[in-house]
Amino acid sequence: MADLRPPRRIRAPLAWTASALVGAMLLHIDRVPWWITAAALVCVGWRLAAEVRAIRLPGRFAKIGVAMMLIAAVLAQFHTLNGLSAGTALLVVMGAIKLLETFSRRDRYVVIGATAFLLLAACLDRQGLTRAPLYLLEAWICCTALAVVAQQGDSLTAHAAGALAARSLGLAAPLAVVMFLFFPRMVGAFWTLPQADSAVTGLSDSMSPGGISQLSESDEPAFRVRFEGPTPPPEERYWRGPVLHEFDGFTWKRGTGYYRQPVLQHEGIAYRYRVTMEPTAQRWWFALDTVAEYPLRRAVLMFDHQLIAHEPVTRPITFEAVSYTHNSTAGPPSTLARGYDTKLPPDRNPRTVRLAREMRAAVGSDADFVQAVLAVFRRGGFEYTLTPPKLDRDSVDDFMFNTRQGFCGHFASAFVTMMRAAGVPARVVTGYQGGEWNPVREYFLVRQSDAHAWAEVWLDGRGWTRIDPTAVVAPDRLRRGVYDLIPGAMTAAQRLMRDSPWVAEARLRWDALNDWWNERVVRFDLNAQMDLLAWLGFDSRDWQPLGWLFAGGLVAWLLFVAWHVGRALRATPMDRLARAYTRLCAKLAKAGVPREAHEGPLAYADNVAARRPDLAAAVRPLLSRYADLRYGRDAGARSPADIAQFERAVARLRVPRESEPRLRAQRAT
Amino acid sequence: MKRFLRNRIAAWAKRRQGPDVPPVELASRRVYILPTPVGIGFAVMLLVMLIAGINYGNSVALFLTFLLTGFGLVTMHQCHRNLVRTSLTSAAALPTFAGTRGTLRVTLQNDASFRRYQIEVEPTDEAPGRADVPPHQQAQLSIAMDAPKRGIVSIDRLRISSTFPFGLFRAWSWIHMRIEMIVYPRAYGAQPMPVDSGTKTGTRSRGLAGSDEWLLLRPFRDGDSPRQVAWKAYARGAPLLVKEYSAMGAELRMFDFAKLEHLDLEARLEQLARWVVDAEARGERYGLAIPPHHFEPDSGPEHRHRCLAALAAYGVQRSANDG
Repeated sequence: MADLRPPRRIRAPLAWTASALVGAMLLHIDRVPWWITAAALVCVGWRLAAEVRAIRLPGRFAKIGVAMMLIAAVLAQFHTLNGLSAGTALLVVMGAIKLLETFSRRDRYVVIGATAFLLLAACLDRQGLTRAPLYLLEAWICCTALAVVAQQGDSLTAHAAGALAARSLGLAAPLAVVMFLFFPRMVGAFWTLPQADSAVTGLSDSMSPGGISQLSESDEPAFRVRFEGPTPPPEERYWRGPVLHEFDGFTWKRGTGYYRQPVLQHEGIAYRYRVTMEPTAQRWWFALDTVAEYPLRRAVLMFDHQLIAHEPVTRPITFEAVSYTHNSTAGPPSTLARGYDTKLPPDRNPRTVRLAREMRAAVGSDADFVQAVLAVFRRGGFEYTLTPPKLDRDSVDDFMFNTRQGFCGHFASAFVTMMRAAGVPARVVTGYQGGEWNPVREYFLVRQSDAHAWAEVWLDGRGWTRIDPTAVVAPDRLRRGVYDLIPGAMTAAQRLMRDSPWVAEARLRWDALNDWWNERVVRFDLNAQMDLLAWLGFDSRDWQPLGWLFAGGLVAWLLFVAWHVGRALRATPMDRLARAYTRLCAKLAKAGVPREAHEGPLAYADNVAARRPDLAAAVRPLLSRYADLRYGRDAGARSPADIAQFERAVARLRVPRESEPRLRAQRAT
Repeated sequence: MKRFLRNRIAAWAKRRQGPDVPPVELASRRVYILPTPVGIGFAVMLLVMLIAGINYGNSVALFLTFLLTGFGLVTMHQCHRNLVRTSLTSAAALPTFAGTRGTLRVTLQNDASFRRYQIEVEPTDEAPGRADVPPHQQAQLSIAMDAPKRGIVSIDRLRISSTFPFGLFRAWSWIHMRIEMIVYPRAYGAQPMPVDSGTKTGTRSRGLAGSDEWLLLRPFRDGDSPRQVAWKAYARGAPLLVKEYSAMGAELRMFDFAKLEHLDLEARLEQLARWVVDAEARGERYGLAIPPHHFEPDSGPEHRHRCLAALAAYGVQRSANDG
């Protein structure tokens, strides 16, 4: 039967509590599995619907059942309830179920608490510039919910509560800045963290070109590089990442093998630079190919010249390095390397293997063979595209002889396969290529869309040599972005946007702002604090000035807030008259005749006259004047001049202490 | 335990600031402030956020923690401001009958230019009353008081407090003043009302006996008998008027405590209260003799109160008013 009662209104405390919870859930919407968010939203919707239409809420056992089910599902998804992702999912679930049984004020506080922890989890997860306003907004919703929930009755409107919360947060902001700058930072002070729990982004340590039909072209920044001194020319801006050795015919992997790192002869310019990486939750660092110097205590250089950090990059990090873009190795490769990097799955891609062996037999040296293979790519009707067709199990054969369409991964994979088939040691290198110069803050920005894969082959006398087959097929790939290469990759509007100088300028500035945020806010640590102290002119590099600045800022802020909040009290227009009367009473109290609490001004005058007859003549007119001004028939019409006159009279009154007349009398005799 | 602590602290505050006589302005030095349980929870949450922020070197979490810390301190000032310099202009309890709920009337005054929200007034051991006080105005609160048995209920102090605006802190102040609520005995008993004490002063017979003569009309007051109302005049559109006879004491009653010795004490008092209430309702003149009082026959609300209060106070040890 339909409910014919008129719908009720959702009352403010529930509405704001639910808003805070939903806001916090939305902060995690792309990080928790979609079905968790969906289940949580159903719970919230149910609770609100029950408020409006008196729909039945689930019973106690149903609630417990649903809770257990969802917890089990979280467990199944994450295999743990510990750690940030699983904990967040669990909090989302529990908060939503708690909302189902939220009726008392205490329940609402519990939900707001869960919301606050979800907000904290969001901060720990991501600290981007675009996230910060969302966090502030959520904090404001939580504070407003706190105010609304705390009210008895509804004399404070939700609008006023929101304004009050915003004002209070605004007042708190200066303190937050002071504490942020001067509160000593001790990373990892309490416990070491189970890391690598954040979402993984960027390059992975495997590559299956045949399995991808649509390359994700994200404009997200991958890292930013600042050079000290010379910068490498565009064709040398290869940023080395995971090196892939093992191939099963379809997928390239980093593998588990290793061999001795050949000794490099560095040639040409030493490039000094600093890389600031966005979080990837992976352990590789991207450095200009080939790295010569790097922070030894934070990373290790692998046998294939890949930098592996000790800690996963879960928040923006920075490191300094030196690289040479020209290197060589004299002598032959180790036998281990020759064996490892010429291995191919025996029964896969037979046509390519046969072709490679035939071509190698036709030329005199490995170097000539490389050129011959590149010539095949150049003239064989190959096409560079971001949306290649999927490939079958023998992916290289399929690519070489059928589709002939692919992106960097396809070309690198095919090239290395051909090299290995002919017995030339070769490996796939993944990383990034290129970078956009940002003149605002003077750095190169490397985006996710600059991700690239190329090949390295061992040539006797030169050692490992970088060969980029993609550059042969699409030479402009090196000098310009991916988008310019492929006509269909962008709509006309996008192209227009990109080509507009105004948009380009705005993009540069926006990225510079992000860079500033990462450098100055997200990575603000003890070192940065010390730099700040030095900049402020403190010599000592210890915590003492930090403490003083912190305490000073705190006290100054407290005084300011006390003044600001108390302003309205002092601004009370009444009561110069009352203050003057208080002064008068204080004077008389000093003279030994304090006013009793029950005495009105006239009774007080009698009391004074009785106890200090010498004062009666001066005091009685004043007190009766006060009674007149305060309670007399013309009290409403008293003018400021009257009050001023009374004030002056009070100020003029001299009341000698009790003993003084006697002293004077003694002196007179 | 909590109550014991609260009493001790209140006693300390009393020694510190002395007894109060309304009007009392809550000066800054007598307004105390402490976090509420919610405020303590908020602080614990901040601590967790701080530890997480420091440990993970997470600047955004730290900034949020510091922002909310500042927020908490700001709300402390706001809470204090909401209460400080509020005035209590009067506080009095209306007399009531045993077994009913009495009322404590408290008037608060706000001289400031902002609204004071959610001021709570809490007598010892009673549920608080709550009101907003608009700027430059007064607000009256009625607080229900339990009145289980006849006698004098005395309140030693009032706690005026507020957790506005965010419920994280409670600012409070004690007002030490003795408020007494007189609890009349329950009006109960089936004894017939004594007809006449025999001291007739002035009789209706002196006028025109049996006639409807009355001397004057006066406006209706609470407690007047409907039988005396000039209904005819009222029907003609006049206000409610009461006919005053020249000698209402035709049936002049004297209620004597001593004459009810066959009942026990409380029953006696209840019976006397019953008679007083009934006699007053009928507009009769009645007197009451209850040691040490002897009220000559009279009528009217004040007389009624005098009699009932004497019944309420009978045998009650009134402690010396030290408050």
